[in-house]
Parts: sequence; C-alpha cells; structure tokens
Amino acid sequence: MADADQALKRLLCLGCGFLYDEALGLPEHGLAPGTRWDDVPADWVCPDCGAPKHLFEMVVIGYAAGQPQIQPAA
Amino acid sequence: MANSFILRAGERGHNLIPSSGLNASYVAGHPEGFITRESSFNFHEYQTGRAGFGRMRVFGDEVFFGAGCGYNMHPHHNFVICAFVLQGELTHVNTVGNIDQLHAGDYYVFSAGSGGKHAELSINGDEMHAIYIWLLPDQLLLPPSYKRAHFDAIARRNKIQELIGAADGALPVPQDFRVSRLVSDMPQKHVYHPRSTAHGVYIFVLDGELTCGEIALGRRDSAGIWGTDAIACETGAHTSDILFVETIV
Repeated sequence: MADADQALKRLLCLGCGFLYDEALGLPEHGLAPGTRWDDVPADWVCPDCGAPKHLFEMVVIGYAAGQPQIQPAA
Repeated sequence: MANSFILRAGERGHNLIPSSGLNASYVAGHPEGFITRESSFNFHEYQTGRAGFGRMRVFGDEVFFGAGCGYNMHPHHNFVICAFVLQGELTHVNTVGNIDQLHAGDYYVFSAGSGGKHAELSINGDEMHAIYIWLLPDQLLLPPSYKRAHFDAIARRNKIQELIGAADGALPVPQDFRVSRLVSDMPQKHVYHPRSTAHGVYIFVLDGELTCGEIALGRRDSAGIWGTDAIACETGAHTSDILFVETIV
C-alpha cells in the first residue's frame, strides 16, 4: 500500500494524454476515488488507448478553470 | 555553461506501421499502406531512447505511404499536438469541428485538453511527410482547440521565424514553448536566443547542414542544448531547413 501521508498524484498516459488522478480514481472502471497509482493493478491499461501502466508519467500540473468536473469524494 | 546531447538521424526509434493486421483499425488506408515513424524520444514501442526534452514528449518524423493512409479517428486528452507538413497533403479532421487540408509549409496546433479526437490522413496516393510534436500543457483539461498557420519559406528565407509561441503571427500554445524555423539558402551565421538559461533548445535539421560550435549536424540529425542564453550556429552551403524547439527544461 502507498503511504497515506503522501500527496495524491496525477499521472498522464504518454500514448494519448489520458489523465489518472488518484483523488478522482476511475469509478466507471472499478477504481474508487483515492485509489493510489501503486494500488492500480499492474495489468491495468489506459482505457482510451491501451497503453500499459508503465507508460504513464507523473505530472505536477494544475487543472484549468472549471476542471475537473467530477469532484473528488470528501 | 551549456549542456548538450546529439541524436543522429539513424539513432532514432524506427517504426514501420502497416495498415493491416493488429493496426488495421488504427492505421487508415489500403492494406498495403503504411506509416514510417522516426521517433526522437520514447514513444509507444520505442522505449530505449530519451524520455523527452523539457515539456516535449514526442518528436515524430513521419511519412504516410499509400492512398488514404494515416491515423483513423482516435482520442487524446491534454497533449498539445503540433504538425508541420513538409510534403504532400495532410487532411486533418478533429472533434473541435475542423476538417482541414494542409500542404508543405502549413502547420497546426491541436490542443486536446479535456478530450478530443482527430484523424490524420493522406487521401491521395502521394507520400505525406510531416513532423509531429507533442508537448505537455501548463494546465490539465483545457478547452480543446485547433489553429493553423503557414510558413512561407521564400518570404522568410535566411531568418529564424517563430511559428509557435508569443511572436506576432505565431500560434500560441498553453506552455512556455516555442518552435521556430530557419530556411537558409547560403552559409550564414545565426544566433538563437532562448528566453533564459533555464530554457533548452532542441535543434532538428530537416534538410541541409548546421554547425553549432563543436556540434555538426546533417540531415535529420538533432541536438539538445541547454544552460545558455545564446546558441551560435552556421548553416551549410546549400539549402538548410532547421527547426528550433525551445522549452523550459
């Protein structure tokens, strides 16, 4: 398990730009909000382009105004 | 003190992607059509090179072979995708609402932002040559956008012309990032000035020759230089066509 004190991370798919935000998870893909990247299954792939997990890069980039439209669970 | 790396043309990642088999739905065109992609940085199957340079993640030197060849409609987020058409005709279709046809000298900026799809097609049977650059945006999930412009190599010859950035007539991108082009028809000295020593410049020789101090580059060779606010270079005896990609590093 990841360290609970660590800041929540954002990762970008280098195949297409799909964003995985730990705070938001991907509930529609079975990943609850707050799911750490380390806890995302190793065989999980980008839902948009199929790139494997190791082709995601952690990014420290803020959201544009009005984003994300889905708010993280309290 | 400047830092640098050199990437020779033949050292780049090479992919030949046929429009048949596993790629049949991704790559457009007749079964005999194919795409060649020379990647300066790690991309898809090519993962043994550099990860990127500054905010740039993809620098692809691509050729579409065969009528209708290219990439079918496929999704993106976040990445700012720039294409510079060198030869042939590129038909670009996107979900921002554009159907565009680009020819030599034309270029576009497609910012995928909160989500967009695009198709890249060479509809006639002529080879289509283009450079594709992807960069990270400075904000996530921006409104998607598309803009295009034209570089006039005749009117702008022997000058470093900013194509992408904040200069007059350049296409803006949501990042500290610039792309300039120099088409030179004679040996000439130029100095490229990055905005600061915290900016790096990826210099790619589309054609001809360029010498930057000790670094001598031929066709499709490239170099990354950072940690200096002035890069002196000299073009070769014949036509030289150079891209300067400047990014915060």
